[in-house]
Amino acid sequence: MKQGSLLRDYLITSKPTNDGAGKCVWAFAQRNGREYFVKEFLEPKRPRPESMATPETKRLQHAQCAAFERRHRSVIRRIDPTDLDAGNLVTAVDFFCEGTRYYKVTNRLYPANLAAPHRLTPHQKSVLLGTLGDSLRLLHRLDIVHGDLKPQNVLLHRPPDSDLYTAKLIDFDDAYVSGEPPEHDLIGGDHKYGAPEWFRYLRGDPAIGGDALTTAVDLFAFGLMLHTYLTGALPDHDPSHTSPGEAVNAGAELQLDPRLDDRLADAVRALVAVAPADRPKVNKVLRLLDDRSALALKADPAVRRPGRVRASPNGTSRSAPPQPTAAPQPATGPQPATGPQPTAAGGDRPTRLRINLDGRAPRSPKRPPEKDEG
Amino acid sequence: MNSQQSQYSGNLKYAVDIVLCIDATGSMGAILDQVKESALSFHQRLNTVMGEKGKAISQLRLKVIAFRDFGDHPDDAIEATDFLLFPDQATQFERFVRGLRPTGGGDIPESGLEALALAVQAPWERGLDRRRHVIVLFTDAPAHPLGSPAQTRAYSYPRSMPRSITELFEQWGVPHSQGAVMENSAKRLLLFAPEEPPWAQIADDWNNTLYFPSEAGEGLEEWEMDEIINTIANSL
Repeated sequence: MKQGSLLRDYLITSKPTNDGAGKCVWAFAQRNGREYFVKEFLEPKRPRPESMATPETKRLQHAQCAAFERRHRSVIRRIDPTDLDAGNLVTAVDFFCEGTRYYKVTNRLYPANLAAPHRLTPHQKSVLLGTLGDSLRLLHRLDIVHGDLKPQNVLLHRPPDSDLYTAKLIDFDDAYVSGEPPEHDLIGGDHKYGAPEWFRYLRGDPAIGGDALTTAVDLFAFGLMLHTYLTGALPDHDPSHTSPGEAVNAGAELQLDPRLDDRLADAVRALVAVAPADRPKVNKVLRLLDDRSALALKADPAVRRPGRVRASPNGTSRSAPPQPTAAPQPATGPQPATGPQPTAAGGDRPTRLRINLDGRAPRSPKRPPEKDEG
Repeated sequence: MNSQQSQYSGNLKYAVDIVLCIDATGSMGAILDQVKESALSFHQRLNTVMGEKGKAISQLRLKVIAFRDFGDHPDDAIEATDFLLFPDQATQFERFVRGLRPTGGGDIPESGLEALALAVQAPWERGLDRRRHVIVLFTDAPAHPLGSPAQTRAYSYPRSMPRSITELFEQWGVPHSQGAVMENSAKRLLLFAPEEPPWAQIADDWNNTLYFPSEAGEGLEEWEMDEIINTIANSL
């Protein structure tokens, strides 16, 4: 694709780039007055009739294309856009092959420019984390593992006339059906948010087959994201490890921010358990996220839980700058952190008022924010 | 933790190998200076970006293949380094790159496909946990077809050359292909080349290829080192 050219009926309006993307190039586009985000995959390539490939290689390419289409379409098909929890999933509106290349199209988003979500009020955090949890609950109910859950893949959206933010979950390119991940040398994900079993699978540990990579992989990342959104940083760990998942995989303990409410700390601790089966389901965590008193940080950072949370050996992460939660550079390619705002995601599926499936009160983005207790 | 467990714990180790295929013919002049300048600062920029992502490259190696035209002047049609380990062999790399001079080439096309084939056949790292094998090719010209007698009869023509573009594509490979010499999940090809044969066709047919086309004879004004950094830092 080229800037100024037509890709099917999408007019490519920006110069294609691989900024923030490892396995694709992307650009913005317009069609019928609406704006889109178009991604061109580097692999697979559908062979041309006059391709330089041998017949056997063409056969392999066709097989790879078929498998690629099946995986993407199965995720697209499984997610019902009318589902009550689907409003904050930024899923594909188009997926096609043009020439030799595959393309995926989503609505263009204009995320809010929020540098420090951990400074939000407990009520704002409840809405933000609740909408993220709702999306994750839907995926897991459908047996889908997002596979690359991290703040960079969450765009924060502020509906008009509201001070509340909702979480738009993007980039399903690494998603897979629970227990059926891509091969270990092809699986996606980010080492900062990777679960212990993901690290072992990636390394080819014979004890960790594909069936060991389930929705619990996302739960580990969700635990780390909760900690990040609530405190501004990942949990601390021994500096000899480069990520929490590696530390847990090596048997080390993560040190949670002592300002966390005890109930929240217990939930995060359970979510980052080394054993996937020990991690609580999203529903259980969501109930806690509805309790705003659990989302307020303790005023006294000296409050610790002896025997459960150790002092940081390096003392660095606590004062580290917050993760880039406004997601200027997601793996799918960045949606601009600033720009015309606020609008709904692509204008078609704003966050809705609704009754949650488990009977909880709906999270209304219209409710007034509370005083910042963070 | 037993020994088998410890084998699969610890920090992930990343290996990055990069081969820069640089057209060093006379027409490259100004752009060659730009490529050289960027190549010399490349590893520092890569380390910075990786550091921002909380990752560290455990092993970084660079190799340079400068190419001209076997048919025009076989003596210096290919000038190449081995894989050089950074930062230990940075001085050797710098000396080689600074010594490149835009010269020769005669008329277009050039021996770009031979350089690409040598890159594909390079001794890529096969160890560590995650690998990225990147070929970056800079040229402002189309390429002679592989197997062209004007090329192959040169005394310096490498014996390992594939005899056709189809054979070279087989060496590049697709997932599960038998003839591939590159590791499918690790490889990337970045082409900074004009929309001339065979570059546009390679961009169409080869997987894991990013193509940044330029106008033939008008230099490579649009190429950016960021595209190469992104290819590595975002995919490890």
